[in-house]
Amino acid sequence: MKKFSNKYIFLYAAILVAVAAVTLTVVSVSLKPRQLRNQEIERKQMLLRAIGIEASAAEAEEQYGLNITEDTLWTDNDGVRQALPYYIFREGVVLPFRGTGLWGPIWGYIAVDEDLTVKGAVFDHKGETPGLGGEIAADWFAHQFVGKSLLEDGVLSPIVLKKHANPNSPHEVDAISGGTMTSDGVTQMLADGVESYRSLLEAFSNVSESEFSDDVDVEEYE
Amino acid sequence: MPFSRENPITVQVLGICSCLAVTAQLKPAVVMAVSVTVVVALANLIISLIRKTIPPRIRIIVQLVVVSMLVVLVDQVLKAYLYDVSKQLSVFVGLIITNCIVMGRLEAFAMSHSPLESLCDGVGNGLGYSVILVSLGFIRELFGSGSLWGYPVCEKLGLYAAGYENNGLMVMPPMALILVGVIIWIQRSRNKDLQEK
Repeated sequence: MKKFSNKYIFLYAAILVAVAAVTLTVVSVSLKPRQLRNQEIERKQMLLRAIGIEASAAEAEEQYGLNITEDTLWTDNDGVRQALPYYIFREGVVLPFRGTGLWGPIWGYIAVDEDLTVKGAVFDHKGETPGLGGEIAADWFAHQFVGKSLLEDGVLSPIVLKKHANPNSPHEVDAISGGTMTSDGVTQMLADGVESYRSLLEAFSNVSESEFSDDVDVEEYE
Repeated sequence: MPFSRENPITVQVLGICSCLAVTAQLKPAVVMAVSVTVVVALANLIISLIRKTIPPRIRIIVQLVVVSMLVVLVDQVLKAYLYDVSKQLSVFVGLIITNCIVMGRLEAFAMSHSPLESLCDGVGNGLGYSVILVSLGFIRELFGSGSLWGYPVCEKLGLYAAGYENNGLMVMPPMALILVGVIIWIQRSRNKDLQEK
């Protein structure tokens, strides 16, 4: 067997790694715009699903433009101004939620009308256990939220996930068996989200529909 | 021949983990099969080309760097062009790095053979892996979800109306293991040389 000096080995390793690094950097940078576009389309598809529109990747951009208007809520958080995005659709607003599950980030969108009744919801996750916590991304789970309410006697009240949830309660949905940590994460996320958007939700649920639609360009809904 | 007699999955029993995980549907199984074939073929070629310059003491690390680079490339390309499939495959693309088929071929073949032979060996092993993956994906999607490549075959044939139901066990990972077992069984009963004494 050929004998290699230490100097050669170090040099060899360094050059190899440098070549690999340069290759990967070039590829990563050149593919970045496409990947970001894919993520953007996925986000738009999710938002559309929350308001009950199934759009393929190709239609998502167009449907999004037709049905959803983006807006920002400015809140004062201990003197720090915070920008919170939200989305306006024909019947109401869609709120984005972000939280932490068992293994990583979870997120979702909930669409509510002016009574703060849930019109649709969708959730997704980065790496919850498939079949257990990962079920939050499934349709059956999201579907449970439809018809629930964020309002109780005029006071904001977030939806909670519970074992043996009362199907008649407007604030309870069934938690996922085997996915307790993820379910708790969702409950926490919903509570935090409703709290952050408190001013928006309160203002929104009190204005009449006609006042509300003044803010929005009606033509966009055609 | 890595296609049947030396098939990496059924005879060498390598690469089982990804084989169980991604074959619930045909499309991800095919994409995974193509990815592994590309990685093992190119890794074999590259390692074979530089095999005389690789210091033996760091050869495993060199192999690993080459394989990782290729896998990350595949992953990036999938994210850019086949985003939905790449989401389904999730960590399993990254795990090609640790797929024993890849390292096994590099260490056992590419380190001691010419580039052309190594490329062929890589493609052959990739295809051997692919044929099992694709058959599993085919069987599991057809009987588990009643569709093929997302197309609802059973519904179109009117089987549900006739009282047919999907087999839920098919979409669970254990069923893939059982199916691999059945394939190995069939293969060994036809090819007596493969049976252990």
